Amino acid sequence: MHHGQIKATPVVGLVGNPNSGKSSLFNILTGLRQRIGNFPGVTVEKKAGMLRLPGLPTVELIDFPGAYSCYPTSLDERLVVQELTNPAGDLFPDAIVYVADITKLDKHLLLFTQLRDLDLPMILVLNMADLMESDGLTVDIPRLSKELGVPVLPVSSRDHRGITELKAAITDLLRAPDAFRPRQPFYEPGASARDVLGELRRELPARNDYHALLLTHHAPWLKHIPERTRHKVQTARVRHGFHSLRAQVEETMDRYNSFEPIVKSTVRHAGDTNSYSDRIDNIVTHPIFGPIIFVVLMLLLFQALFAWASVPMDLIELTFGTLGETIRTTLSEGWFTDMLVDGIIAGLGGVLVFVPQIAILFFFIAILEEVGYLARAAYMFDSLMQRFGLNGRSVVALISGHACAIPAIMSTRTIANWKERLLTILVTPLTSCSARIPVYVILISFAVPQVTYLDGLIGLQGLAFAGLYFLGIASAMLSALAFKLLLHTPDRSFLMLELPDYRTPVWRNVTTTVWQKSKTFVLEAGKIILLISIVLWAASTYGPARDMAAAEAQVEETAVAQELTEAEAADLLASERLEASYAGHLGKFIEPVIRPLGYDWKIGIALLTSFAAREVFVGTMATIYSVGSSDDEFRIRERMAEERNPVTGEPTYNRATAWSLLIFYVFAMMCMSTLAVTKRETNSWKWPAIQFTFMTVIAYVGAMVVYQLLA
Amino acid sequence: MPFTLPAAASLFKPGQSGTIERFTNEHLAGKLLDIGVRPGSRLRVVRKSPFGGSWYVKIDRQCLALRKKELACIMVK
Repeated sequence: MHHGQIKATPVVGLVGNPNSGKSSLFNILTGLRQRIGNFPGVTVEKKAGMLRLPGLPTVELIDFPGAYSCYPTSLDERLVVQELTNPAGDLFPDAIVYVADITKLDKHLLLFTQLRDLDLPMILVLNMADLMESDGLTVDIPRLSKELGVPVLPVSSRDHRGITELKAAITDLLRAPDAFRPRQPFYEPGASARDVLGELRRELPARNDYHALLLTHHAPWLKHIPERTRHKVQTARVRHGFHSLRAQVEETMDRYNSFEPIVKSTVRHAGDTNSYSDRIDNIVTHPIFGPIIFVVLMLLLFQALFAWASVPMDLIELTFGTLGETIRTTLSEGWFTDMLVDGIIAGLGGVLVFVPQIAILFFFIAILEEVGYLARAAYMFDSLMQRFGLNGRSVVALISGHACAIPAIMSTRTIANWKERLLTILVTPLTSCSARIPVYVILISFAVPQVTYLDGLIGLQGLAFAGLYFLGIASAMLSALAFKLLLHTPDRSFLMLELPDYRTPVWRNVTTTVWQKSKTFVLEAGKIILLISIVLWAASTYGPARDMAAAEAQVEETAVAQELTEAEAADLLASERLEASYAGHLGKFIEPVIRPLGYDWKIGIALLTSFAAREVFVGTMATIYSVGSSDDEFRIRERMAEERNPVTGEPTYNRATAWSLLIFYVFAMMCMSTLAVTKRETNSWKWPAIQFTFMTVIAYVGAMVVYQLLA
Repeated sequence: MPFTLPAAASLFKPGQSGTIERFTNEHLAGKLLDIGVRPGSRLRVVRKSPFGGSWYVKIDRQCLALRKKELACIMVK
C-alpha cells in the first residue's frame, strides 16, 4: 500500500511492452546485482535487483515481463496482471516505472493508461531517446507530461542520458506517491459493464471501478480471488450478459481514442524512419535468400562454438584433473579422499566443462536477439514449424538445443500457446547436444572406416557425424508431429510477432545474458549433476563385501602370477572392483535386456551411468577398461579395439555394436539435468516422465533394429 | 460515388495496401488491438514467408509477422 510511511523495502516495478527496452534499463539500474528466480507458483522468470537511492531504504526493482495490455494471452503477460491487481501481494509495487519506446508511443501508451486507471503512482520513461536526433523525432515533453498527468523522462540505455534524472524521479515518487496519483481516469467502464459492476463492486477486493472491472474479466484465473467470489462473479457475468471479449475490444478502442490525440499533438516524426530496416529485410527475409542466410549463420555459429570452446574446455578439464591428483597425493588415502576426488571434483568438472559452450551459444543468441534477427527467423520458419505442431519461436530452442538442451528449454517461455511450448520442450533434447560429441567421436571410429574422398576433403566419418546430427533434428520434428496428433488443447495459437527495427546490440545486455545463463546452468543443473555423480561414485566403489574381497584376492594372485607392474596391477584392481561393485551387479542384472542391442554388462554399466549425463560414458569406459583415471580418448579407443568377446573371440566393438550404441545415444534421454528443467518448466512430473519414456523407447527399438540388421 | 467494398487482408498480394476497417474475429481482434493494429491503421502486405502461411506486414510504421488466419480477420478497404 502506498499510503503513509515508506516501507522497509519499497518495491518499484518496471513495466512496459515487449521490445520497449525495459530489460536494458533494468541492467543499467541494477548492474549485475540481480536475482533471477521464478514468480511464486509459476515458471515465469522473475528478475529483481537492488537500487540504492539517496535518503531511502534499499529499493527492490522488479523487472516485470513485457506485456501489451491488461488482457493477457501468454503466461508472462498473465503474471503482470496477476501481481498488479493484487494489492495484498508481496510483489505489488509501491510505484511503477513505465517504459515506452519513444518511437512507438502511439502503441505503447495502451497499457500505460490501463495501469494509470488502476491508481498506481507512476513515471513514464521514454526509452531510446538517442533516436531523437538521428531520426528527426521531436517530442514535446512538458506538454506530454501535463496531458498524461505523470512525470515524463526521456532516457537512453545506449548513451545513458537521463539515468540520473530517472533515479531522482523515482526518489520523489517513493517519498510522495500521492502527488503522482491521477486526477481522473482515462476510461470509464461503458454501459455494458456498468450493470455487472454495480452488482460486484462491493463484493470484489477492488480499489476503484477499473480495478473491479479487471477482476470481473479475469476472476476465473486470478490466484488471489477466493473460490466463493469467483463463483459470484461468474453468476453476475451471466445474469447481466457481460461479454468479456466485447467489453475488452470496446475498452481498447476507447483508450486509443483518448490518448491518440495526445500523442499526435506532442510527437513529430520526420519522414519514413524505417527505410534502413526495410532495406535489410528485403534481403534477410527474402523468400529464397532468407533461409539460405539463416543456414549459413547457423553453420558459422556452430563452427565458432566448437572452435572457440575447445581451448577453455581443455583448460577446465586439465585444472580439475590436476586438482584431483593434487588432493589425492596430499590427503591420506581413504573413502573421504576418494569421494572428494572421484565424486565431487569429477562431478564439478563435469558441470563446469559445459560453461564455455553455453556462454558462447548465449553470446551469439543474445546478439541475434539484440539486433532483431531472432524475430525474423521465427517469422520465416513459423509455417514450417506449425506443420509439426510447433511455433516459429521454437526455432530458437531447437538451435540452442544443439549446444545444450537446458538453456534451450528455458528459452521457450516466449511461446504463448501452451501446447506449442510443451511440444518444443519435449522434443528439444532430441537435437544432438554437445555432451554427445565425445561419445560420437569415440564410437564413430568403430562404426565407420576412415576413408576419405576428393583428396581428404570429404571423410566418411565426417559424413556419419553430420548424419547423426541430422537424425537428431529429424527425429525431433517427427516426434513433435506425433505429439501434435496425440495431444488436444483448446488454447488458441498466435504468431502476431513484432519485427523490431534493426539496431546495433547493447553490449551490456549481451554480457548480462551470458553471465546470467551460465550462472543459472551452474547452480541449477550443477546441483543435480553433482549429486548423481556422488551416488555413481558410491555405487561403483562399494559392493557386497564378499564379492569385493574375492575380486581383490584374485587381482593379487594374477598380479603375482603375471608379474604385473604396480600401475598395471592398480588398473586391473580398479576394473575387477568395478565388476564386483553394486554398479557391476546392476550391469549384469540388466544384461539380458540389452543383449538384443549387442551390448555386454560392461557397456551396460556405461549406459546406466550415462543416464545421469551422457558425457560420463567416456569416463566410465576409462574405468571399466582399467585405463586408469586418464581421460585420454585415444587410449580408451585403443583399449576398446582390443576388447574381445570371451566366447566367440570376435571384437566387442564391431560395426553393428558401435552403430547400435550411436543410435542409442542419439535418441536416449540420458540427462538428469534436462529432466529436472523440464519438470520445473512444466510444473509436473508427468511431462519429464513422458519425455524420458518416449525417448528411451525410441532409442531401445532403434538400436535393436540397427544391431539386428548389421550383425 | 467511388465506393470500395472491404476485403479480407489475406486476399492481398504483396505490395497492396489499404486502410483497416474492422475485424471479423473477436478473439484475434482483442490481441491485434493490443499490439497496435486498429481500425484506421494503414496496412501494407510486404512479402510472403519462405514456406508460405505467414506474411510480413507493415501497419502504420510498424513491421509485423501475421499468419494467414490472423490476416483473414482484418477487413481492409
